[in-house]
Amino acid sequence: MSEHDELEAALDAPAPVASLDDPHLREAVANPPGAERAIAAYFVIGIAGVAVFGAAYWQNWKPWTLGLSLGVGLFFLGFGVSAWGKYLMPQGPFSEARHALHSARAEREAISAALVERTGLVVRRRRMLLGLFGTGVGIFSIVAIFPLLRSLGPLPGLTLTKTNWRRGSLLVDASGRAVHKDDLAPGGLVTVFPAGYEKNDQTLAVDQTVLIRAQTTALVTEPGRASWAPDGYVAYSKLCTHSGCPVGLYERELRLLVCPCHQSMFRIDDGAVPEFGPAPRPLPQLPLYIDSSGFLRAQAGYDQPVGPGYFERTTT
Amino acid sequence: MARIRRVFSSRFLLPGAVVAGVALGGLVAFSGTGGAQGLDQATHSYGNAAITYVFPPRSYIPAGQALFDTFCASCHGAQAEGTSRAPNLVGVGPGTVDFWVSTGRMPAENPNAIQAPRKPARLSDQEALEVAAYVNSLDPARPAIPRVNIKDANVAIGADLFSLNCAACHTITGAGDELAFGTFAPSLRAATPTQVAEAIRTGPGNMPRFSGNLTNSQVADIDAYVTEYIQHPSNPGGFALGGVGPVAEGFVALLFGVGLLALVGFWIGERS
Amino acid sequence: MSADTTARTQRQARAARGPYGRVGQVIEELDDRLGLAKGGRVFLDKIFPDHWSFMLGEIALYSFIVIIATGIFLTLYYVPSQTELVYHGAYAPLRGQTVTAAYASTVNLSFGVRAGVLMRQMHHWSADIFLGAIVIHMARIFFTGAFRKPRELNWTIGLTLLVLSLANGFIGYSLPDDLISGTGLRIMYSIVLSIPFVGTYLAFFLFGGNYPGQEIIIRLFIIHVLILPAILAGLIGAHLFLLVRQKHTQFAGGGRTEENVVGSPMYPTFMAKTTGYLFMITAVITVLGGVAQVNPIWQFGQYQADKISYAVQPDWYMGWLDGALRIMPSWEFTGFGHTIPFVVLLPAIVFPGLIFTLCYAWPAIERRFTGDNSIHHLLDRPRDRPKRTAAGAAMIALMFTLLGASATDVLANFFQVSLNEVLWTFRILVIVVPIVVGVFTWRICIEMQGGGDSIGKRKRAVLMLRSTTGEYRTVDTAPQPDDEHEELRPIPVPVRIDLDTPVDAGDGDGQAGVRTVTR
Repeated sequence: MSEHDELEAALDAPAPVASLDDPHLREAVANPPGAERAIAAYFVIGIAGVAVFGAAYWQNWKPWTLGLSLGVGLFFLGFGVSAWGKYLMPQGPFSEARHALHSARAEREAISAALVERTGLVVRRRRMLLGLFGTGVGIFSIVAIFPLLRSLGPLPGLTLTKTNWRRGSLLVDASGRAVHKDDLAPGGLVTVFPAGYEKNDQTLAVDQTVLIRAQTTALVTEPGRASWAPDGYVAYSKLCTHSGCPVGLYERELRLLVCPCHQSMFRIDDGAVPEFGPAPRPLPQLPLYIDSSGFLRAQAGYDQPVGPGYFERTTT
Repeated sequence: MARIRRVFSSRFLLPGAVVAGVALGGLVAFSGTGGAQGLDQATHSYGNAAITYVFPPRSYIPAGQALFDTFCASCHGAQAEGTSRAPNLVGVGPGTVDFWVSTGRMPAENPNAIQAPRKPARLSDQEALEVAAYVNSLDPARPAIPRVNIKDANVAIGADLFSLNCAACHTITGAGDELAFGTFAPSLRAATPTQVAEAIRTGPGNMPRFSGNLTNSQVADIDAYVTEYIQHPSNPGGFALGGVGPVAEGFVALLFGVGLLALVGFWIGERS
Repeated sequence: MSADTTARTQRQARAARGPYGRVGQVIEELDDRLGLAKGGRVFLDKIFPDHWSFMLGEIALYSFIVIIATGIFLTLYYVPSQTELVYHGAYAPLRGQTVTAAYASTVNLSFGVRAGVLMRQMHHWSADIFLGAIVIHMARIFFTGAFRKPRELNWTIGLTLLVLSLANGFIGYSLPDDLISGTGLRIMYSIVLSIPFVGTYLAFFLFGGNYPGQEIIIRLFIIHVLILPAILAGLIGAHLFLLVRQKHTQFAGGGRTEENVVGSPMYPTFMAKTTGYLFMITAVITVLGGVAQVNPIWQFGQYQADKISYAVQPDWYMGWLDGALRIMPSWEFTGFGHTIPFVVLLPAIVFPGLIFTLCYAWPAIERRFTGDNSIHHLLDRPRDRPKRTAAGAAMIALMFTLLGASATDVLANFFQVSLNEVLWTFRILVIVVPIVVGVFTWRICIEMQGGGDSIGKRKRAVLMLRSTTGEYRTVDTAPQPDDEHEELRPIPVPVRIDLDTPVDAGDGDGQAGVRTVTR
C-alpha cells in the first residue's frame, strides 16, 4: 500500500475514542481554576503593558519606556499562553505512527523505469540534438555570469598601485593647510595628503600618509634613506600592510606606530618594519624634503604599492 | 495511581514574580537614562580667544619649591634634573607639570610602573599650580596653563577632529584601551577642560604632542566635544554597556538574549 | 414572530449547519475550494516531541520574524546612498559635518523618528540573538545525531542558513556607513584582495573599483534586504517542510521508538506553547531594544578612510574571523613577480572554508567511519557518542577561543595586562584549548556511560542498603508493580472525545477514571 492509502486507511479505520476523564486529556495541574486565575492575571499584566506602550508612543516618552512596556506586555501575554498550553491543555503523551517515508518497491521501480527507458528512447535517436542543446546551455551558463561580474566594476589594472604623491607634492593636512617645518614639536604627528587630493574620498583612501616629527635632527631609517626624513620629519603610508586600516595610533616615547585593528606594531626608526602582530611588510616610507619656504614636500612618490598585499603585487 | 501532580502555585508565581521583579527593577534602575539630547550650539565664533595661556604668578614659587622638595625631589632630583627613576623636568613648562599633578598621576605611587595611572590627586589644584610655578622658574617654557573657552566652541568641528586625531588611541567613545607593551590610553571620562587642553598641547607620556598642526580654536573645539559629549554621551538607546562596543554587546546578546530564551524554553518543554 | 417560532427557526438553522456548527460550515467552504480537510486533520494531529532542547530552533525562527518585521520599518527610512550632504539634524556634534545619506538617514532614524531607535536596536539585537540561536540549535542537532539519515539534507540547508545569515548580519551592520563598520568593510576588501589570481578582480567587481568607491552601500543594501532574505526565507521554508515531512526526532525511552512520535498534539497544545514562545522571544528582544543600547552610530561619526578608532571588533558572530586575523603570524609569500599574503588568506578564506567544508561533510564522514547507513529517528545521548561529542566540543572551544582572541585589547585593558602577552596567550590557547576540551569531553562521556554505580543511568528499581559501618550502596532489583506508569504510556491521538461514556470508578488495575472505548 502506498503511504497515501495507508493514511486513508488509518483515518477511516476505527480509531480510539477517549473519555473526557482520560488522564491523557487532563490538565497537568491539580487546581485548574487556580491556574486559570493565574493565567488571567498574566494576561491582564500583558494588556496593561501593551496599553502603556501605546500611551508611551502617543506621548513620545523615552525609548526605554517604549521597549520596557511593550516587552513586559508581550512577555506576560506569551507567558500566559504558554502556561495555558502547558498546564491546561491535553498534554498526552500522545503518539502517532511514523509511517516510513520510502515508497513501495514497485513504485520505486516504476519511476526508475520511466526515467531510464524514456531517456534511452530520446537519446538513442537524437544524440546530436542533445549534444547541441547541451552545448548551448553550457555556453549560456558561462556567459550569463559575465554581466553579473564584469559589469560591476573596472579591471584592476594599475590603479591599485598608484598614489598621487609625486616629486614636489606639497604635504597638506585634512583641511588643506600646508605643513611647515616649524609646525610640529618633536613628538607630534599629523595625517597628510598631497595638495589638491585631501578632499576626495577616493584618493585620500590610498594617499593617506602619517607625518611624525620624531626629533629635531634628521632621522635615517635605513641605509640609502639619509635624506628622507629631514629635521626629524618622517612620513609613512598610513595604510597598514596587513588589512588596510589607517595606522593612526602613535606612541611617542616608544616611537611605535600601532595599527588599531589587529595591533601590528611598527617602529618608526627602522623604516616601519613590523616588530609585532600580523603585518607582513614594512609601511612604505615617503621621502621628504623641505622647500625654500620651509614647507614639507615629497621627493618622489612611494617606491612600492601601498597597503595590503595582492596577487599581482611585485616588490620593486 | 501515581500521576504526577504539580503544585501550581510555586510553578506559576515564581517565574512570574521573577520577571515582574526584573521589569520593575529595570524601571527603577534605568529611569533617567534617556540621556541628554544634542545640545544646540551657538554659531561658531570666538568672541574672546579660544584659549588663553596663563603663567602661574611668581608668588607661587616659594610654596611650590616646598611642595616639590616634599613630594617630587626624591625621584626627580633636588633641582628637577632627573634621576634614574624619573625624567628631567627642567624646561617642560607649567602646563605639563599641572597636568601630571592635577590628574593625580604625580606623585607616582609606583615609579617603576610602565605608565602612571590617573588617581585621586594628592595635591590640590592650587598646590599643583604652585609646583608648576616652581618648576617653570628653573627654566621658563611653554605651554602655560590653558584657560579654554568652551562656551564658544564648535562641537561638530571638535567631533570631526577627535575622530581623526584622538580616536585611534582613546577609542571613538573615549573609553580608553590597552596599547603596546603595557602602555595604555586612559579613559577621557574624568578629565577637566584644562587637563584636556594640557594633554593635547604637551603630549604626556606616549601621547603625541599636538602643537602647530592644531590651532587654539581647534583644540578648544576638541575640548568642548570631549567634556560635553564624550563625558556625557547621548544614549537614547538606553544602557550604554560601557561604550566598548561589540564585545559587550556580544556578551549581552548571548547571555541575556539566547541564554534567557533557552531558559524559557527549558520551562516550556519537558525534561525527560 | 413568536418565541416558539424563533426557537424552531434557530433549531432548524442549527440542524442545517450540521453537528459542528459554523466551524463545520467554514471548513466545508474551504474544502470545496482547497481540499484541505483530510490533510488539515492530519496536520492538527501532528505530534511534536516536547523536549526543551527541541525548542532552540524556534528561538531562531521567531527572532527571524522579528528581524523581518523591524527590518521593513527600517527600510522605510534608510537611504542606501553614498551621496554626500551636510547634516542639519538633531544631534549637535554632527551638525555642519559632511556625511553620506546612508549615515544621515540612520542618525535620523535614531533621533528623528518616533520609536526609530527602538526599531533599530530591536533589529540589531534580534540579529545577534538569531545567530546565537542558530549556533546553539546546530550544536543540539550535532550532539544528538539528528543530522543522520534521513536528515542530511536538512543539515545542509541549516548550515547554508548559518553561512548566509552570517553574511547578511555583517552586511546589515555595515549599511549605516559609520566609522566602525566602515573599517570592517576595508578589512573585507583586503581579504578579497588576498585571494590568488582572482582577488583583485573580485574586489574591483564587488566594490565597483578601487576602495572605497561609490557603489558598495547601494549594492550591500540590495543584497541585505532583497537577495539574501529571499534566499533565507526559501531555505527556512524548505527546512521546516522537511521537518514536517520527515517528522521530528526524539530521545529514546518512555514508549518512544523508531516507529512512532510521542509528544503533544499540534492543536491545541503545541500551537499554544509555540505562540507563547513567539511572544516571549519578541518580548525579550523588545526589552533589549529599549534598555540596552547597541551600535550607537552617532557617537562613531561618518566613515572616512583615513579615520580609525581603537577597540574595534566586529559583531560577535564575526569575532572568530577577527580573532584569527589577529593571532596569525605574518606569513607572506613573494616571488615570481607575485605576492600571496597568507597572513590574510589563511585565517579569512582558507580556515573558514575548511571549517564549513568539514561541517557540510560531517554526515558523510560519520557514515563512513561508523559504517552506519540506516535510518535514525531516535536521538543519541551525547555521552553515548564520545568521539562525536568530543569533536563537537573541541570545535566549539576553538570558535570561542578565536572569539576571545578578537578582544585582545579589551581583555588586556580589563585585566590590566600587556597586550602583547595577551596576544601570545591566545596564539597558544587556540592550539591547546580545543585539544584539552576534546580530551576532557571524551573522558567525561566515557565516565558518564559506564563509570560509577548509577551515573547517568536511567531510573530503575534499586534497593538502598546501609552497612553496619555506615556505607550506603544500591542494589538493582526487579521492577516493582508501581514502577510502571500505565497512564504515561503514549496513546494514539484520540479521534473523538466521548462525553457520554460513563466513567468507571476503577477497573481493578488501579487506574481510576481511565476508559478507552473503540467504536
